[in-house]
Amino acid sequence: MLTYAVRRVLLSVPIVLIASFVLFVATRATFDPLGKLRQSRDPSVLHRETIRLGLDKSVPEQYFLWLKGFVTGDWGVSTRTGGDVRKMILQALWPTLQLIFWGIVFAVIIAGFIAIYSAVKQYSLADHTLTALSYVGIALPAFWFGLVLIQLLAVLPRQQFGLTDPLLYFVGLHSPGQSGFNLDYLRHLVLPVLTLTITLVAMWSRFGRASMLDALGSEYVRTARAKGVPRRRILLRHAARNSLAPFVTVVALDAALLFGGLVVTEQIYSIPGMGRLFLDSLLTGDVFVLLPWLLVVAAAVVVCNLIADIGYAILDPRVRLR
Amino acid sequence: MFPAVATLLVASACSSNSSALSGQNDAPVAARDGGSIVIGAEQEPDCADWLGTCAGSIWGSYTMQVGTIPAAFDTRKVDGKWVPQASDLLTGDPAVQTVDGKQTITYRINPKAVWSDGTPISSADFAYTALQVRDGKDIFEKSGYSDIANVATPDPKTAVVTMQTPYASWRDLFSGDYGVLPAHILDGKDRDALMKDGYTWSGGPWIIQNWQRGTSVTLVPNDKYWGPKPHLDKVTFQFITDTAAAFQALKSGQVDALYPSPQLDALSQIKAGVANTKSQVDPVTGNLEAIWLNNTKFPFDSQTVRQALAYSIDRDAIVKRLFGTIGVDKAAQSFFTPIVGGFGESAFGKYTLDLGKVTALMTGDGWAKDSAGFWAKGGKRASFAVETLAGNKRRDLTLQILQSQFTQAGFEMTIHDTTSATLFGTTAPNGDFQAGLYTLIDTFPEPLNLASTFASAAIPSQANGYSGTNFGRVNIPGLDAVLDQIDADVDPAPRIAASKQADQMLADAVPAIPLDDVPNVLLWSARLGGPISINPSEGPFWNLSEWGLAQ
Repeated sequence: MLTYAVRRVLLSVPIVLIASFVLFVATRATFDPLGKLRQSRDPSVLHRETIRLGLDKSVPEQYFLWLKGFVTGDWGVSTRTGGDVRKMILQALWPTLQLIFWGIVFAVIIAGFIAIYSAVKQYSLADHTLTALSYVGIALPAFWFGLVLIQLLAVLPRQQFGLTDPLLYFVGLHSPGQSGFNLDYLRHLVLPVLTLTITLVAMWSRFGRASMLDALGSEYVRTARAKGVPRRRILLRHAARNSLAPFVTVVALDAALLFGGLVVTEQIYSIPGMGRLFLDSLLTGDVFVLLPWLLVVAAAVVVCNLIADIGYAILDPRVRLR
Repeated sequence: MFPAVATLLVASACSSNSSALSGQNDAPVAARDGGSIVIGAEQEPDCADWLGTCAGSIWGSYTMQVGTIPAAFDTRKVDGKWVPQASDLLTGDPAVQTVDGKQTITYRINPKAVWSDGTPISSADFAYTALQVRDGKDIFEKSGYSDIANVATPDPKTAVVTMQTPYASWRDLFSGDYGVLPAHILDGKDRDALMKDGYTWSGGPWIIQNWQRGTSVTLVPNDKYWGPKPHLDKVTFQFITDTAAAFQALKSGQVDALYPSPQLDALSQIKAGVANTKSQVDPVTGNLEAIWLNNTKFPFDSQTVRQALAYSIDRDAIVKRLFGTIGVDKAAQSFFTPIVGGFGESAFGKYTLDLGKVTALMTGDGWAKDSAGFWAKGGKRASFAVETLAGNKRRDLTLQILQSQFTQAGFEMTIHDTTSATLFGTTAPNGDFQAGLYTLIDTFPEPLNLASTFASAAIPSQANGYSGTNFGRVNIPGLDAVLDQIDADVDPAPRIAASKQADQMLADAVPAIPLDDVPNVLLWSARLGGPISINPSEGPFWNLSEWGLAQ
């Protein structure tokens, strides 16, 4: 398994390098790190900054200089903030990890229950209802759904009941001056996690249902039934466990995408995570943040893929990793 | 200080200051001491090293700089007009002399002025700041400071700045973008490293308690401030970059005030109404949106065509369509934005929609309409593309209206979406455009931008490394001399006369067409008290120390 993991990591290196070069060239061609200086009254500032940031060099030369620094541990300095890029990315990673963690925990639990229930009650009214709701959930755009949740669960209750504070907050993960795991944190967490969870539940419950139906229709479940194994035991020990393997794969792969895919959720809820860092850096042409950002997200994808593969092997003894 | 400052400014403010918003003209509610508030900030500053190239964010100025950095001049309303006024950092107006072509400015520092650690603010601080800007490498803007010959410090409370050549906008020094920095803390150290993430010292009424990147900036009163102390115990600026979410935060009481950019989504939110909220809409602003014409490209290489173009559009109608919901309906009539309006005239006021004049001008210049109804001359149609930054819905709407009006007048206009990098990095410096829609920004009530926008020396060229910002290649006979006088004449009366002359010359030559002064909008919760109002130069939180919870 170790050999497999090392090989997977090594195989991902050239892909990540190519992706980073493409991103570098595309960002340089599209966005301008000197944008806010372009209309300065001081005619010399552009020249000074071009030299200072090395923008007078060719794009490939700039890229290789950055890469050389990166592999020797120098993540560089943001052209936007002048800050240390490693620190910026680590700071952004923490709120995103929190959202991903809570989103996955709730989505797995809820989607798992819905999947089992829908599969067991296939073609019932409840199954049809849950199916219809899942399609709605998949179709809901996060930017719209987030704002609807804010209106319904934060603004309206305060106005209707004359509360001094809203029950649920939607700006950041803490109120000013607060920190840590406390009630304030939970009141901030509910809406962004709900926004994130709805789509995940909708997708994963569909996938889980199909997987569960496959398992329930398999020969080993039929054999277990014929042998008189109790229904609950068949569902949980035989069908659910076997349907878990593909489900875990999907969860792990989707989790990987979330590392860089929470732009909208983080924007609506003013959460300074990886998505917002990407957006801010992209719009200001801050390629020295974008490249390490890409590598961190790529690393997350590689790790999540590995977790998926390993998880599959653990849950399904027939699978061996080579 | 500015005896003849702007009748135009007043006219502009009164003509379009009416608003449907509630509370705009309410008398201030008395503020009590104590308590804390949260203000929604739509942008996070990139850094707090105000001298460095990472600065330049207006929200950095609003949230931290104005409250913590002492400045020689404040922008204050005097007789209904915003003008530079010696701040309480000084004992009075500096003495200004010009001898043998060299200007000296003598600043006398208030003996009570101290930094937050108790160290007196001294002439060494003025010298440090001036030389950092003049000689530093990573500096955002050196204009004015690059002409400083030396700074003498005859005693700790007197700084004498000698300019190599007269600098008429000298009030911008140690004010505007920069202020005064503490030499005893920064001299000999890495200024950028000490300031960029926020600093622990202050020379203003507030001190930065905490800047949590991506989340908020918190200010608390500076106990050592020599002026009136703030009413509030704490002010937190929370970064909410999504406009819709920011308005919901105001409605839900999570924030107590907002200062949104007047984009279409914000305007529709304001139009829909925000309960228990007061507001101010202020058209006296430093942001001018205009159609910038490339004076060397067909068809704008003809002054007659440019004049005809100005007669082709109903600019008031455009402004009404954009900002009518917040009561702003008058077009900009000068390249002097309202905050420097005292220097200009309403010179462009003569250009109102008049298709008869368009026809007379165009036919007089040898143009005739082709079969499609567009003006053509020598087989070439009066057709042009307007460059605009993609994603700005307000500008998209502006261009759609312009396109319709120009078509009716016989001009064929197309819209070309571009990026900031392409427009200001390549297209505009190289002159590879016909027209563009973008904003001229003044941040201090001095005509600092005119020469860099219209002087022929500022035309980007190989000789100056394509670094000038006269993108339109404007070269109006006689204008350079007038602009030089505006920049160098320290006597206010002839300087203002020169400014008005420049305004007339620009209106006659139509190198560009001013459209709208983008209004400022401030909304605040009814639970707030104090004299809350917008300062077009220092922003809406310029008098934050006077804000408080309503009594």
